[in-house]
Amino acid sequence: MKRYLRFLGQLGLLTAIYLAGNRLVLWAGLPIPGNVVGIILLYALLNLGLVRLDQVQEAADFLLRHLVFFFIPVAVDLMNWGGVFYRYGLVLALAIILSTILTFLGTGFIAQWLQKDKPPCPS
Amino acid sequence: MPQLTIAFTILLTVGAYLLAKTLYLRYRHPLLNIVLLGAALIIATLLALRIPYQAYLPGRQLMTFLLGPATVGLAVPLYRHQGLLRRHASTIVAGVVLGSLMSMLVAGLIALAGGLPREVILSLLPKSVTIPFAVEIARIQGGSPGLASAFVVATGTLGSVFGGTLLTWAGIKDPLARGLAMGTGAHGQGTAMAFLEGEQQGSMAGLAMTLAGITTATLAPLLVRLLLRP
Repeated sequence: MKRYLRFLGQLGLLTAIYLAGNRLVLWAGLPIPGNVVGIILLYALLNLGLVRLDQVQEAADFLLRHLVFFFIPVAVDLMNWGGVFYRYGLVLALAIILSTILTFLGTGFIAQWLQKDKPPCPS
Repeated sequence: MPQLTIAFTILLTVGAYLLAKTLYLRYRHPLLNIVLLGAALIIATLLALRIPYQAYLPGRQLMTFLLGPATVGLAVPLYRHQGLLRRHASTIVAGVVLGSLMSMLVAGLIALAGGLPREVILSLLPKSVTIPFAVEIARIQGGSPGLASAFVVATGTLGSVFGGTLLTWAGIKDPLARGLAMGTGAHGQGTAMAFLEGEQQGSMAGLAMTLAGITTATLAPLLVRLLLRP
């Protein structure tokens, strides 16, 4: 029972930070998502010591373990979009394949190049 | 009886999730994607029972409510791996920013040249970041969350099937660089593959996934203005 309440409290805290992120974005008129601001908020709160890891980590780990579940209802929207893949499939495939290859190579090359003059890290 | 429909759609979604997850865990094949498989099961059931998409919406709203708080939870692994982040700050920032820009720019230019409708292009731009970011970025810019999630899964599947081979072929051996590329290019699906290569690659990919989401969200409004002047 106590663990259950503790979990709900952590969930409440994460929700409050998420809502605060949304509020902040709305208030400032920023074109970025509220959840992004929420992450930055929680990261700052953890670093400032205003929130301790043990005040959020059980709920955060649980939700992240099942994150994929929440993606499924969003993907059901595809029900309305079958025609797009039929009509523009080739261009879409080309755009996705080429941009994914170039992203992997771009990030990989610059990171390897910048790591070259550093000693290999022990961790 | 709207309550009954809501209860049914939620049960259906949980069932589809559990079934898709069991299949994935048994075969561990990247093509058995839990998101697409789960959604396909639900769509097939709705179509077979002649339940319209609109009837799924109230349940969808209830279920996705926790997606926001769950995404905020990504700050926890970021904080746990803070040491790694500090030690390699310049490499990580350079890799993530370059990759995020590259992903949006290349996809956007090809889509423009191919004459895709504006709404589809706006859903395509955040294809390399994890779904909760991509969905929000697409929504803010005027794209479709559902389409965005499909493009994200397509990118992640491609990256997790061929990404490792591509990096090896290109001579990218540094474990940190590999993890960074997998997380930036193929979000959570790439991160899962990076963890199969090693702990260091995996942690780095996880960091890159979250940072690429933040970077893409910040840069997307600029890119949209640049590519698709309203």
